[in-house]
Amino acid sequence: MDFMTALDLSASGLSAERTQLNITAMNLANAKTTRIAGGSGPYQRKSVIKEVSSLDDPFGKHMRTELDREVKGVKVKGIATDSRPEKLVYEPGHPDADEKGYVHYPDINVVEEMAMMMTAQRNFDANATAIDTIKAMYSKALEIGK
Amino acid sequence: MKSLDQDHMRIVSRVMDMQLQRQNVIMGNISNVNTPNYKPLELKFEDELQDALNLDAKGKMARTSGGHMPSIFDSGTFSADWTRRFMPRKAHGEDRVNIDKEMVKMAQNNLQYNTLSQITKSGYDGLKTIIAEAGKV
Repeated sequence: MDFMTALDLSASGLSAERTQLNITAMNLANAKTTRIAGGSGPYQRKSVIKEVSSLDDPFGKHMRTELDREVKGVKVKGIATDSRPEKLVYEPGHPDADEKGYVHYPDINVVEEMAMMMTAQRNFDANATAIDTIKAMYSKALEIGK
Repeated sequence: MKSLDQDHMRIVSRVMDMQLQRQNVIMGNISNVNTPNYKPLELKFEDELQDALNLDAKGKMARTSGGHMPSIFDSGTFSADWTRRFMPRKAHGEDRVNIDKEMVKMAQNNLQYNTLSQITKSGYDGLKTIIAEAGKV
């Protein structure tokens, strides 16, 4: 357990939150996409699945104390496709309209996405603050020898 | 060499170690702020340390007889105790670590760490002064 462990932990948090932001941005950008590349059907909302993950390799883990093994970072396990139903809008002139004149739009709630984005931003800030704190502690420890 | 190897320095350095450990624990909690099923960890050592150093208000145990077991405190083996929440914390149907609480704990921990590093520094500064002044006589 050292200063670098703390930095690794927060770095894992930062990267997970960045992934979350990227996915949210993708959802917002594709809020009105009616066709996906190389396939049929509208864009489907994506969400991030996060998982607790150990920072150590399997061997290093055995060399640590019980507490050190319990302190874990986060990692993105995968990107899930949301299966909520599509939104049907009557637009007969649209090239992607079905035979009844309805266009299938992804059901993306912009307010929900903005809330996700703000949460991710705050969590990112919290992790960045934690890094600042550990840096301050490190320089304080260095001052002992001055 | 009692003056060069001060007793409190060993305790202070050990406590600084444990505070670093606590910082790591808090950072682990913060990075998992919205991980499902994550149970936050907490590190505690102050009460046990006070107890071990006989500094708490619970009343000192005096050795009234030579046959009593002495309670020897060893700063080298003293370590922190940690607990994990039994259930993940739920807020609005989602697992959430209490970020405000973690940030406050982190700020407290940082201030305590800075104080201890200042104390260690002053301890060595005092030694430095003694060494420098003794050479002038």
